[in-house]
Formats: sequence, C-alpha cells, structure tokens
Amino acid sequence: MKNIAITINGLQLTGREDMTIFEVAQANGINIPTLCYKSELPPIGACRICVVEVEGSRTLVGSCHTPIAEGMVVHTHSPKVLATRKVIIELLLASHCGTCFMCSKANMCELRSIAADLDMGLPQVPTRRLYYPVEDVSPYVIRDLSKCILCRRCVRACREIAKQNVFAVAYRGFESKIVVDFDQPIDTDVCRDCDVCISFCPTGALSRPSKVTDEKKGRPLIICD
Amino acid sequence: MSRISGRISTQSKDQNNLLVLLEEAQSKFGCLSQEIMSELAKSVGVSISEVYGAATFYAFLSTKPQGRNVIRICKSLPCFLKNSELIIESVGREIGIQPGETTPDGKFTFQLTNCIGACDKAPAMMINNEVYGDLTSKKIMAILKACK
Repeated sequence: MKNIAITINGLQLTGREDMTIFEVAQANGINIPTLCYKSELPPIGACRICVVEVEGSRTLVGSCHTPIAEGMVVHTHSPKVLATRKVIIELLLASHCGTCFMCSKANMCELRSIAADLDMGLPQVPTRRLYYPVEDVSPYVIRDLSKCILCRRCVRACREIAKQNVFAVAYRGFESKIVVDFDQPIDTDVCRDCDVCISFCPTGALSRPSKVTDEKKGRPLIICD
Repeated sequence: MSRISGRISTQSKDQNNLLVLLEEAQSKFGCLSQEIMSELAKSVGVSISEVYGAATFYAFLSTKPQGRNVIRICKSLPCFLKNSELIIESVGREIGIQPGETTPDGKFTFQLTNCIGACDKAPAMMINNEVYGDLTSKKIMAILKACK
C-alpha cells in the first residue's frame, strides 16, 4: 500500500493511504482526545472531540474518520481546535448528571479526564438535566443512563465484537437514549455476561454490579446549580 | 412466513427497507404495536431495539394507538418565530388535550412535529395528510369543526 506524507503540528510524518489522521497521530505519539473512537470499532465521528484543523478546509474535521491525503497540513491543538473541544465538553457536561463524586467511575471517567486536561472549570451552560433511574435488573450490568453521553461505543461493541445487537439509539434530540428492546431495563433474556459493552463505556453509564445501595438510586441532589 | 409480516409487505425484507416497511405497517395497522415491531425485526433480521429506535425517531411513526384525526403542529424555528406557541395553545384549548395525548373519544391525537416543509405558510399544521398554513386562532376553530 502507498505511503502518504502529511504534516501534523509541524512534524513531517508518513502513513499508509488507508489510515486516518487520528491513526497517524496516534502512531507518532501525538495524543488527540476522543470519546467515541476505539481502534477495535469502526469510526463514526459521533463525539466530535477529536476534531482537528486541516489547512485549506473550511471547517474543522473529525480526525477519527478523515483519511489522510498527500500534503495535508494538520494542527491537532491549535487555539481554534482547543476552543471547539472546550465547547463540546462544556455541552456534554451541562447535560451530564454532575454527580462525579458519587460515581464509581470517578477518576477513570474519560469525560472527566478530558475535561480536566482542558481546564474546564465549573459548567457555564445551564441545561436541562435528564434523569433516568438506575437499571440494576441484570446481574451482569448496571446501566445509569443519566451518565450516558451517547457515544454509541456500547451499540457498536455489542454489534461488532459480541455479535449481539442488544442496544440501539431511540427517540430524538434531547430525548435520544440508548435502548434495549422496547426501552426496557436490560435483563438476562437479552444479555449475558460478556462484559464487552462495560469495558467500552467511557463514563460510568455502564458498570459491573457491585450492587447499588438504595441510597444511591435516588435523584441526584445537586446543591449548586 | 408469520402472520403480520406476511400481511404487511410487498417490499423486500431487507434492513435498508426498514423505514418503508415501518411506514407501510403504520398505515395498515394505525400504529406500530410491539407485536408488529417484533415481527418486523425478525423478518428483516435486525434487533427489536433497532426497529424501536427507528420507530421512535420519526415523528410520523407512532408506537401508540392514534385518534382518527392526527393533528401535527410544527415546532421548528420558522413556525416558532411566527407564533406557533399560540397555535399550539389554541388547538390544546379547543380539543382539551396536551401535545402527545389522544382525546378519550378517539377523535383527535395531538402531536408536535419537526419541520413539515411549509415554512412559507408558517405557522403551519397538518391534520392527517392535509397541510394548513398561515394559521390563526379563528382559522383553527373552523378547521377543527370540520373534522369528523
């Protein structure tokens, strides 16, 4: 396969012609943050965190799904890119449940980790927070959809790796939600203990049960809003 | 072939045809019941969640039984700027239900929908397949009276 020369952040790099900007950057130690991309899954460009500036392009492009082209000049951390990433994280956090200190994913949360890297501070955009009750019917997986950022990793992992197709996205706009069957809590009839989706979830939306106690099932008590 | 999917369609049972199949089922059975969606999922070869996902995404598909007259008022920006909120209020007052509900006598279902492509006649609504534009509270009373 043909090798293609591109420039990322001033460095002259080469990649195979079937590679994306993200893959070339990653192979050369340049870290582009992402919440929906995983090398095991086909890229869908859902989260937009991995956007980069490509010289000559009218808009920022999603690096996870944009193939490289000869002579491409890419900036992964320009002021414009960082400002855009901040807005995206801001919006994700604004509709997130905001109970990080109670969350078992805590410091392993990819959303929180990127927010910390970008020095986000407290959310500035007030948005209606959607609250969904925690689902702990299944002995294998707990779903807390208030923490879901709709990255669709679970949908793709279940389909591509577990070959099960348990999840899909339903409803529209603010009401969009990852559903199982007719929007039912996940149970042992549809899902066994393969664990694949849990390991792909970037936030605390999917977790292994250690059983949640009743104290933690209630509506989050948000003190400052 | 199963009872429902046998009756539904002449279309090929390909997952790319899912939307057409859902539309067909909806017009034949009035709404997409769980039974119909399960049958479709099986015959097309996708999961129930995927069928449910498509059925709930589109405003013109319904998973709940609907009234004889389905009123759809546009909630998109052009209609909003032309005071669609007032129209939504007047329709609600006239038939006594909120968006998302069906009257107990089964005469009306009232829904808000995304753009129906009648921005030049904003604020606009549809009753079944008929588009009504440049709405005012007065016009609405007359239109709803004519519904059976």
